[in-house]
Amino acid sequence: MPGQSTDSSLISLLAEYGKERENLIPLLQEVQERFQFLSPEAVRAVADHLDLSENDVYGVATFYAQFRFVPPGLHHIKVCEGTACHVRGSDHILEAVERSIGIKPGQTSEDGSYSLERVACFGSCALAPVVVVDDKVHGRMTGNKTQKLIEEEE
Amino acid sequence: MSIISLTIDGLDIEVQEGTTVLQAARKAGLSIPTICDHKDLSPYGACRMCVVEIEGVRGFPTSCTTPVTPGMQVTTQSEQLSTLRNCTLELMFSGHPNSCLKCPHRELCEEERPQATKAARTTRCGFCANRDECELREMALDSGLNELDLPTIYSAHKLERDDPFMDRDYNLCVLCGRCWRICEKIHGKPAINIIHRGKWARIGTAFDKSHLDSGCVFCGACVDICPTGTLTDRFARWQGKPDQSVATTCQLCPQGCSVQAQSKDGQLQAYTMPGFDKEDRLCLLGRFGAAQILSSSKRITRPLVREGDDLIPVDWDYAYQTISQGLLDANGTTVFLISETTSREERYLYARLASSVQGLLLSCTTEAGPDDPKIQELAASIEQGKVKAVVTNGFFISKEILNKTAFSLVIDCMESELLETAQAVLPAAVLCETQGSYRSADGTVKQLRQCSQAPGDARPEWQIVCSLAQSLGKEGFEFDVLDAVTRLVDNDAPPAALEKDPRENSREIVTRFRGHYVADIVPSLAAFDVPVTLANDAGDGRKKGFALLEKQEIVPNMHFLTIEAPQVARFAQPGQFAILMARETSERSPFTLVDWDKEQGTISLVIEEVGRSSRELASLRAGEHIAHVSGPLGLPMTIENTGTVFLGGGCYGIGAIYPLARAFKEAGNRVICAIEAASSYLLYRQDELAEVCDHLLVGTKDGSLGIHGGIAEIVSAISKQEQIDQCVIIGCTFMMRMVTKLTKSLNIPTQVALNPIMVDGTGMCGACRVSIDNQTQFACVDGPIFDGHSVDWDELALRRSAYRRQEVQALPQTVDLNALMHSHSGGCGCGRKND
Ligand code: SF4
Ligand code: SF4
Ligand code: SF4
Ligand code: FES
Ligand code: FES
Repeated sequence: MPGQSTDSSLISLLAEYGKERENLIPLLQEVQERFQFLSPEAVRAVADHLDLSENDVYGVATFYAQFRFVPPGLHHIKVCEGTACHVRGSDHILEAVERSIGIKPGQTSEDGSYSLERVACFGSCALAPVVVVDDKVHGRMTGNKTQKLIEEEE
Repeated sequence: MSIISLTIDGLDIEVQEGTTVLQAARKAGLSIPTICDHKDLSPYGACRMCVVEIEGVRGFPTSCTTPVTPGMQVTTQSEQLSTLRNCTLELMFSGHPNSCLKCPHRELCEEERPQATKAARTTRCGFCANRDECELREMALDSGLNELDLPTIYSAHKLERDDPFMDRDYNLCVLCGRCWRICEKIHGKPAINIIHRGKWARIGTAFDKSHLDSGCVFCGACVDICPTGTLTDRFARWQGKPDQSVATTCQLCPQGCSVQAQSKDGQLQAYTMPGFDKEDRLCLLGRFGAAQILSSSKRITRPLVREGDDLIPVDWDYAYQTISQGLLDANGTTVFLISETTSREERYLYARLASSVQGLLLSCTTEAGPDDPKIQELAASIEQGKVKAVVTNGFFISKEILNKTAFSLVIDCMESELLETAQAVLPAAVLCETQGSYRSADGTVKQLRQCSQAPGDARPEWQIVCSLAQSLGKEGFEFDVLDAVTRLVDNDAPPAALEKDPRENSREIVTRFRGHYVADIVPSLAAFDVPVTLANDAGDGRKKGFALLEKQEIVPNMHFLTIEAPQVARFAQPGQFAILMARETSERSPFTLVDWDKEQGTISLVIEEVGRSSRELASLRAGEHIAHVSGPLGLPMTIENTGTVFLGGGCYGIGAIYPLARAFKEAGNRVICAIEAASSYLLYRQDELAEVCDHLLVGTKDGSLGIHGGIAEIVSAISKQEQIDQCVIIGCTFMMRMVTKLTKSLNIPTQVALNPIMVDGTGMCGACRVSIDNQTQFACVDGPIFDGHSVDWDELALRRSAYRRQEVQALPQTVDLNALMHSHSGGCGCGRKND
């Protein structure tokens, strides 16, 4: 299981960073990139490394939408919340996903097949609103289209 | 450091460099509203209440974070600043219960209800333990803010009360950050912080761990520094503002921390920190345990003397006589077992007494108990007849060994198995019930001051020892004042130091007090893995009795229960009630029947969680059992066709008027129903009610839905439009009283359902006496429905509050409260869905 505190790759990753508080965000970003989410063990290890309390680290991490605290699902759905997408109704897409799989941003469905994330602009504003499923970009989406997309994946 | 001159509101002021504008203004006697600022915390600048205008500076800087500069010109009061501050307040209050501030009946209500209701969730100031000392409320009242334009959002955060000692309701939090900042200041790494962001932001722990697992040491600093009712001490929560605060010393362990003892009506509420600095911190036993030890139901309160198998309560003189005779008759060595946590003066006097009777004194450390090796040696001496009598001021010896002595005397504050064999027992005043001095492990001598009344006949041990010595005919014990003893104490040894500082780690607290396990006295301590002998009885009897089929918190504090009770269902009629006991040991409490199903054999009730009995019921889960359900009780409502019937319900009354509305409708009346609540998110069962009446009206105290006001406002509006032939009002006493006063002036016959304290509910105990037209009636058999215009409301209010103090103390500390989360599926309207 990734993210265990005993995980040697986590230890070597931490070793690359100094113990200054400024390293917190970059460190969290790299841990997430490596392990795909921030486990309680990883948060604790980061806290210990920077001599912070894990409550501090968790507080900072939950402030940013980019961090997740549960492992991503088999299929990872990202909905753009950038200005362009927002104006063109990305909220409806989020709602549609919530309705069809019953998860909120930051969550993973119980069977582990889907996870949902809200992200800031992908730089594909021309295609707004944008949904990315497993790194494949889908443009000009609607709630219905997203729902179909999900059904196709199944 | 240099002196800086500046002008604030036209006043010339000189302050030290490094002072903030806020501090400078305060020094000049000017007041600026603040919330996040606290004198013991570094500036934070989060709440923006303290904004000021500074010449040459753009915008409105926060005075708490702005250092003074030479020649600065500051304005603290202007129209713009007031507007700005009011906007900030308004924003704060939109995420915080605010209906009391907007309620048209606030002043009357606070007069009628001088103390806050012990609700589970605080949905208004009237339900808030912090009402008496709320900084937020004070600020709002000061600013004259009673029109709030923003909608109220009840975030429905989970009520956190599964940790020991603390109740946390983050629905009241204004994110001032004082709690986590003080935690960080005192402990370095805070056990709490702000987690999440935007409207989800709140104080919490990593991964929502319980405080037990978050590194919290339960020092209580956050509870004491929180300006709102968010963080509360579960034990002291409903006791109101302390009326006395005395600097004294905690004697519970050799650490001997300085504390500020807070008490009310002569009862200790808590030991709090003398300041908000690291060195002021306390361990959880001192902070939360001391008050619970003093108020324990296991306290010894009378001198007792053995007669055969029984200990008989006697007066002090008789006790002293019997004891001195007993000691003389024992005719041999007496051993004194004296706790090191006893004051210096008392240890001195015990030693003096021991030597005057040629006895021996054994000092018992904080952690000593009956299993101590010293005691094993003593046991041998007793067996060999070398020791004939034992005087112990704690549970330092087992009853078996004590039983082998010719005479034994227990001078203690707490019951133990020793009471089964001791020849005599004397009740001692302990901790801040007495005075003197205490030497802490580091050698410092500290003052002990009194601030709590000892229970019953209990007396300070120094007085007990002196009287006993005198009755033994010993000289040198003629002390009238303690000071005379204090002067004699010299060179006393400090108690043995603890290996680890219990303030650093919650698992390092001392496990005994005078030989008793502290967890036996304060049950919540069991959460800290300390030894305990008594089994926790929470959860007993939940498998027998009446099945609870459904239980839902439909809106904050209101629980809808469906119970299998075929006998009650079979005979139920509108207006009747049932008496419930959650467990065998619970009090009997009456609840109006809201609905019933003869075929299914079920009844439904709405229970408002506002005290002990309702809390016990509310903590049950569907599938569990209620020990007793008896009913239907009371006289049913007379249902006739009178024309237009107006039914008004508030709080639990919203549920209670439902069966009446249905019956009146079936009898051919035009039925108008009106319901009130503090705010729209507290209304419930509207759809069900709408189905059984012609017209449903809503009133809210904050104006968030329907008429701004309550049943009174609705009655007066309706009565202008059409004739009302009959009124039935059910709700809190205050509301019923207010409405009946109005309908009397409008000449509308009005009935109310009274809710006095009931005990047996069958007309035998008389607890539920009410005066109707100057005639005594019993609400349980003659009511609960009475003519509202004939009720003696003053008497009723008085009787209802008669048991307040006992009730507060009866609030269970250990009930399993996990079942109490707000469920969002019941149309609560709180705006949040189940996550
Ligand atoms: S914390 Fe309590 S007293 Fe203060 S405003 Fe809120 S509800 Fe009212
Ligand atoms: S819990 Fe109290 S002290 Fe902490 S942020 Fe909220 S209101 Fe402030
Ligand atoms: S009780 Fe003390 S240690 Fe625990 S969160 Fe509050 S301030 Fe921190
Ligand atoms: S008191 Fe200055 S910002 Fe809160
Ligand atoms: S409850 Fe005891 S007489 Fe009515």
